[in-house]
Amino acid sequence: MRKGVAGLVATTVAVLSSAAYAASNIAPLPPPYIGAYQPVGVDEIGAWREADEDERMLVNSPIVIRDEALNAYVRQVLCNTVGNDRCKAARIYIMRVPVFNASMSPNGTMRVNSGLLLRMRNEAELATILGHEFGHFERRHTLMKWKATRSATDLLSWAQVFAALGNSYQSHTNFNDLELSVYGRIYRFGRDQEREADALGLGYLNASALRPQAASAVWQNLMNEQEASASAKGVKKPNFTKIAFFASHPPEGERAAAMMTLADPAGENRENGAARYAAALAPLLPSFLDDQIKLNDFGASDYILSALAINGWTARLLLARGDLYRARGNPRDLVQAAEFYGKAVEVDATMPEAQRGLGLSLIKTGRRTEGQAALQRYLELKPNAADAAMIKMLAPAAGGQ
Amino acid sequence: MKFLGRAVVTCLFAACVIAPAAGQERTATKGGFNLASQSGKTILLFRPTVRVGVQSTGGMFEPNADWTDQARKNIDDALAKRQQTLGNKVVAAPVSYGEQAQLVEEYSALFAAVSQSVIQYQFFVGNRLSTKKRDNKADVFEWSLGSGVAALPGAKDADYALFIWNKDAYGSTGRKLLQVAAAFGGVGVTAGEHKGYAGLVDLKTGELLWLNADGAMGGDVREIDGAEKRVGQLLEEFPGSVQPKLASAQP
Repeated sequence: MRKGVAGLVATTVAVLSSAAYAASNIAPLPPPYIGAYQPVGVDEIGAWREADEDERMLVNSPIVIRDEALNAYVRQVLCNTVGNDRCKAARIYIMRVPVFNASMSPNGTMRVNSGLLLRMRNEAELATILGHEFGHFERRHTLMKWKATRSATDLLSWAQVFAALGNSYQSHTNFNDLELSVYGRIYRFGRDQEREADALGLGYLNASALRPQAASAVWQNLMNEQEASASAKGVKKPNFTKIAFFASHPPEGERAAAMMTLADPAGENRENGAARYAAALAPLLPSFLDDQIKLNDFGASDYILSALAINGWTARLLLARGDLYRARGNPRDLVQAAEFYGKAVEVDATMPEAQRGLGLSLIKTGRRTEGQAALQRYLELKPNAADAAMIKMLAPAAGGQ
Repeated sequence: MKFLGRAVVTCLFAACVIAPAAGQERTATKGGFNLASQSGKTILLFRPTVRVGVQSTGGMFEPNADWTDQARKNIDDALAKRQQTLGNKVVAAPVSYGEQAQLVEEYSALFAAVSQSVIQYQFFVGNRLSTKKRDNKADVFEWSLGSGVAALPGAKDADYALFIWNKDAYGSTGRKLLQVAAAFGGVGVTAGEHKGYAGLVDLKTGELLWLNADGAMGGDVREIDGAEKRVGQLLEEFPGSVQPKLASAQP
């Protein structure tokens, strides 16, 4: 019980301090680095051991992207953001998961999803996320959250037993009230950790060579994407300022505003590193786009594609857009898909996938001869394609039919 | 970005506080499979999964690195000691690197998923699938990891693969006090959790030949004697073993 009360007091303090940082403008410089940290106490050593076991599996996991150049680049961005001494504590794993997320374990295992890399528009945005995750690690948030959850569930177990012992209407009502407030506290504790990590991340970014204002754009873009997704699905626009009871993170609206306040205005004119970012991502972009399109979230995927095409539609992006429309597959979509593939072929006639998509959409929209010609070109460009036999049936060689 | 979903906490609380106090043990062998003792077969043992810790008052698992290390060592030693009674040669799977290691990881995960399915859908009462209920009655036990297991490192020189999974959470003082208090209120609370399963896979066909699962095992894996008892229970009724049934195997 005492643990629970102490926890409640601690949370109140945490809320006050998080409100304080939001009011005091610029995120401070990160605290001095204390050197390689080693876990202390049974709980923390145990948490590290579990994280070590997880990492042992992760190292050999098929969903880890092992592209050396991309891994080296992401690592370099982390080191440039948090400093060379700090970044030695982290091991980065890029995961093939087409969802916007990243995480960091107590032992320094950082996981970055491919879906996150696809959504970032420049190096500064990526640095925001990496700094935020490193902030969680530096402040040992996982352990603190785990301890808070343990105190809370201990408290609730006793309360439940007392409620059963009392076994009156009142005792059960009291338990239900307590349960709600304890759960509320666990989730608020988590959200306050996120706020603290946001402030730490911005502290690193302010001290780096990148433009800290980019941090706010991450959440702006995410809100735009969610709006696009909702509008394509015809559902209600999400509320970006409301804190749901079980929300793990502060709402995007709050984060976008907080990031803007935390960013150092003196860094406004620093570079974003957009070109470097695009170059580093280019080799894997096709597969990232493919995964995104397969999520069947038309609005979000179209939004991401349009954002990537801000400097003009490349053949690769046009191909992805064709795939997106062809995947939805309404007759009107197929007409548009054929148009996008057609443009992709105009830009780059040697891309087999564009010819394939063009052929298939043309055939489905009734333009069989043109479609078969495109499929023939596909087979010429990629004679050993896995689906060559199937395509040959759709587009028999001249005189074969 | 750090994720701890609503489901996690809710499940921790709901599942652990009022967990059913049913100790359960089941073994199944694939029909027609019979491994004769001393038949000269080689069994490849993959690195056992061992987790040891404390169960908090609220039922959370508190991992303990020191105990886990001790238990891993004790279990390894006990396995080596039991080789004679198993009747066939048990060798540790070779350490692998790169793509081979990835393959081992994939098949370990697949084995975990398949054995969990057996435990959940065929072995124990609960949400057992109706097809598996019928299988149980007819004594049918047919599960497979697929013939791809033949590509595992070391598989060409061995006949079977043995996987072992073990998790121990010793009830904390708080949990035990809660258990006593709860008994007065008529609420059933368990203290401690000792689960494990072991499975044998055919390295040529990928078929699951034998699986032994126990939701409430005995033996303190932190002690040498306890670990020997535990390994005995895990490998109870292991095909081709000299002592098929152990006296200590009462739940």
